[in-house]
Amino acid sequence: MIEPLGARTAACVEGFGRFGRFAGESFRAMGSTLFHPRSYYLVFYQMHVIGVKSVPVVMATGAFVGMILAIQAYGQLAAMGLEERLGVLINISVVKELGPVLAAVMLAGRVGGALTAELGTMNVTEQIAAVQSFGVSPIHYLVAPRVLACLLLTPFLIIYADLLGILGGFFVSVKQLGINAGAYWDYSARGVELWDVSTGILKGFFFGGAIAVISCYKGFNCREGARGVGEACTEAFVGCFISILALNYMFAVILSAIYKIFWPLQPLI
Amino acid sequence: MVQKDIKPEDGILVVRNLTKRYGEKVVLDSISMAIEESKTTVIIGPSGCGKTVFLKHLIVLERPNEGEVYYRGKRIDNLSERELVPIRRKFGFCFQMGALFDSLTVYENIIFPLRQHYKITDWKAVDELVKQKLALVGMDGYQHYLPANLSGGQRKRIAIARAIVLNPEIILYDEPTTGLDPITADVINELILKLQRELKVTSVVVTHDMKSVYKIANRIVMLYKGRIIADGDAEHIQTHPNEIVQQFIQGKVGNAELEALRLSGTKFPTQFQPEDFQNR
Repeated sequence: MIEPLGARTAACVEGFGRFGRFAGESFRAMGSTLFHPRSYYLVFYQMHVIGVKSVPVVMATGAFVGMILAIQAYGQLAAMGLEERLGVLINISVVKELGPVLAAVMLAGRVGGALTAELGTMNVTEQIAAVQSFGVSPIHYLVAPRVLACLLLTPFLIIYADLLGILGGFFVSVKQLGINAGAYWDYSARGVELWDVSTGILKGFFFGGAIAVISCYKGFNCREGARGVGEACTEAFVGCFISILALNYMFAVILSAIYKIFWPLQPLI
Repeated sequence: MVQKDIKPEDGILVVRNLTKRYGEKVVLDSISMAIEESKTTVIIGPSGCGKTVFLKHLIVLERPNEGEVYYRGKRIDNLSERELVPIRRKFGFCFQMGALFDSLTVYENIIFPLRQHYKITDWKAVDELVKQKLALVGMDGYQHYLPANLSGGQRKRIAIARAIVLNPEIILYDEPTTGLDPITADVINELILKLQRELKVTSVVVTHDMKSVYKIANRIVMLYKGRIIADGDAEHIQTHPNEIVQQFIQGKVGNAELEALRLSGTKFPTQFQPEDFQNR
């Protein structure tokens, strides 16, 4: 009983080590791509596929989050006569947590699955080996542009999700539930700080990087056959989802500590 | 004529005591061999004997567990991926299924190695080069096709055109005629001969198509269970005393397999018939 447990633990540690090495190589390759304009065409193509094509779905996610929050929270706040403060609740939830996290989850499903399936198919049909056989690093050619595109564009997609979340919340609160628009915006402006918006967007870089690296890793290491590619896609999505939640928790801890230390000093600066 | 004591300078490509294991399974078992320059060496052997794995070791797409690989006397199996870049540029590799990039057109597939290694400024010259390489494999005019719209033979020819775009010294072919009709297979054979004659390239071909072997090979090496069991020209192989070699080149089933088939009969007493399942 102990032997299989030990073997599984060793395999798990080995897997983490391999992923760590892959991630390190990917970020190094990404850095070198930044200084080689010859590879920009690959990055721009991936930006179109990963970023531009994800805008509608991310916007829809943001809008629905804002609208649902308004509907759900209105009852409780109205019972206390605080319905005009609905804007603070919606907007702070959207820009700080729900916008970034749900946009990233949506991206993990749309982009992560596609990246794993594409690279996984390339792997099983020996296209990745073909890249290598020409003296070209598959990490430079295939992974770096995807990671770079995902990392740079996720914050922008989060901005879109935030924007639509705010507009969706406003539409339902003011047009449907009849809250005074002036009061709605006034309380929102007082409650939501630049810190909340910027930390939400900052998370996007990390979420984007994690989605791309995990998805590419799973694609590069998928098993043979259609079933292998399918399993890799599932593992990639689960991995991305867990990473997004874990990173979000980590950010909540670190950023709240930083906020408590430095933000009160803001008026002094 | 299995070579034992081989020096790194004995050929353009040399492998010494090459051993490859996947888990417990030994795929290549201490193989030593020198590949001569400007000649066509054909590796034959039954499916699963390690031919493709051996071919991939020559370009270090696989790393050996033991043993060494040399290119022009320089050891290459221990080089980093970055150090391998200039070495791999001297090679062209034709994968079994072509391995064309399916999201790129034929034209983009062929310029792929060029675009990755050189800064292209004169696109007219590139167009001309692509046209010339495609004409060499009889595929000029297919520049804007996607691989999905090509037949198996056409894909293999495009893969050869892509492999020769950097004017390699060595071309490695992994089962170039497998799955093709006899005429298309012969076109590929003629193409391999033409490239060897016109470009003076060194070719290493992995195949089990004996018609193709006799047509293109200067030297034939037979692998069996990860070891070299025969090595020589066509005449040497045809007159080889080893029973396994003779069975393979004549495409004959062995006595042991025949006996097993005879013993099994046409029907096992315990064998289920489809109607057994229908009645349940």
